[in-house]
Amino acid sequence: MSRASFLRRSLGTIVRGGLLVGGVFALTGIRLGKRPPAGARMSLGIVRPPGSLAEAEFMAACVRCNRCADACRANAIRFFGPEAGRHHGTPLIVPEERACTMCLECGTACPTGAIQPLLEVTDVAMGVAAVDDRLCVSINGTGICGACFTACPLRGKAITQGIRNAPTVHAEFCTGCGLCEEHCIVDDRIGIRAIQVTTTRAWPARKVA
Amino acid sequence: MKMKIHKLQIARRLVQIAVVLLLLALPVNARYANYVAANEIDRHLERWEGSLQGNVLTLFDRAYRALPGGEKERVGEMVRDDEGVLHNTQAFRGGPWSAEIAHVSMSDPLAAVESMVARKHVAKVVVISLIVPLIATLLLGRVFCSWICPVGFLLELTDKLRGAVAFLEIHPRNVRFSRGTKYALLGGGLATAALFSVPVLGYIYPPAIASREAHDFVFGVFDRAEAGQFGLWFGGLTWMSLIIAAIALFEVVLSRRWWCRYVCPGGGLYSLLGATRPIRVKLLEPKCTHCGDCVVACPMGLNPMLDRMGVECDSCGACISSCDDKALAYGLWRTRKRATEEVTPSGTLIAK
Repeated sequence: MSRASFLRRSLGTIVRGGLLVGGVFALTGIRLGKRPPAGARMSLGIVRPPGSLAEAEFMAACVRCNRCADACRANAIRFFGPEAGRHHGTPLIVPEERACTMCLECGTACPTGAIQPLLEVTDVAMGVAAVDDRLCVSINGTGICGACFTACPLRGKAITQGIRNAPTVHAEFCTGCGLCEEHCIVDDRIGIRAIQVTTTRAWPARKVA
Repeated sequence: MKMKIHKLQIARRLVQIAVVLLLLALPVNARYANYVAANEIDRHLERWEGSLQGNVLTLFDRAYRALPGGEKERVGEMVRDDEGVLHNTQAFRGGPWSAEIAHVSMSDPLAAVESMVARKHVAKVVVISLIVPLIATLLLGRVFCSWICPVGFLLELTDKLRGAVAFLEIHPRNVRFSRGTKYALLGGGLATAALFSVPVLGYIYPPAIASREAHDFVFGVFDRAEAGQFGLWFGGLTWMSLIIAAIALFEVVLSRRWWCRYVCPGGGLYSLLGATRPIRVKLLEPKCTHCGDCVVACPMGLNPMLDRMGVECDSCGACISSCDDKALAYGLWRTRKRATEEVTPSGTLIAK
């Protein structure tokens, strides 16, 4: 093969490869720009499984294999669908539906280290819970509850109770597991729980309408 | 053409069928194990009795309870040790893209390489999950494609459909592309992964799609059951399944095994890793009658009489089965004997 024809063929292959890769993105709708996916709870950010790497590194390391969900004892791990572009197949936790019980099995199941294995529950830093004073029945005076305190695995540390069981969240201890949110009694019709977990992950800025 | 089926071909079919069953069984197993771990299994077994989901869970429950537990108490998939602590003995997870089989973590090399390239960091767990597939590929070549890949299996079946379509006097075309395309896609995909720090090839690699879709499908069915709706539900599937369907359709009407031969980036990586495999299909030249049956049989479009079974061969053994003269066999590359040959005046090779 002459040098010219070799170059021509290599160039042809590279062009074809480029077209293919471009076609892949067009086909799968993967958008590589830093665009948060549409979906649940975006105003609060995505809660990733306990031990997940920082967001950019997590997106690079995760191979979207679903093994974390297979290991999850609480069935709390969900996945983004293809409509979420490059987030498709990455795990998230929606605490209001099913909160993390911090069994930490997902970290041992992850084949890439995107979710690091943790040893202690106190190492978990998925997010921080916050109480909405207007909605919480113990705070706004419409009842006496204490469900979040009872559900909290670090009760007495992450959540303490005051008069009429009014909860106080201590951010330095809160792991963001979301059990308080799952068990909050405030009616679903409001569409929002009185205690909610906000992710602690650094997330690309997004305007919340 | 008389077909004598090689024993390995039967084994290969059985493995392929087992993989397809595992594709659905592993997510069900995961779900079962999760219910056990969450102490929800008895409640679900009771309330879902008679439904599809309930029957499947009961099947798994009986199977696990039939396993020998020794003196240790077995609670479904969890074993209680002497100190009363429950240990997760969940030994089977994942799918063909990345799996844990009998507590051995295995990842598709494409998954591992993509993850390392995108993250620009070599994590220990990735390397550990690479050990088994890498050794198998270095020794045996592209056997993942011919033995494990569920989409490879599907395409082998649709390949048979090509014959049926031809019987109906519709003649499927057989367009050929450049085999370099898959290496270009592999290189381009890895470069994209490195540039944008997202492992993108997993989104088009068929076994990865099959893994995710099967998982989403099974989990979707059980999620429905938890919401009180029973029966099959295909809403767990996403349109990514259509990619596999499109590949199969294209295969039937336009180009035989086109994805595996020309496009598959994972197949390309397996080809490269298996390039120097010691165990490969070998031609015993003295026995070859140059009938050409193997050329017709080869699903990868190779010529076993000439190609010396290089990087493109997936060692499926179809040529061995097709050979009536026993001139093809698996063998060690290094002990390959050169037959003494001489060229007759008519130009054919005869062996002394």
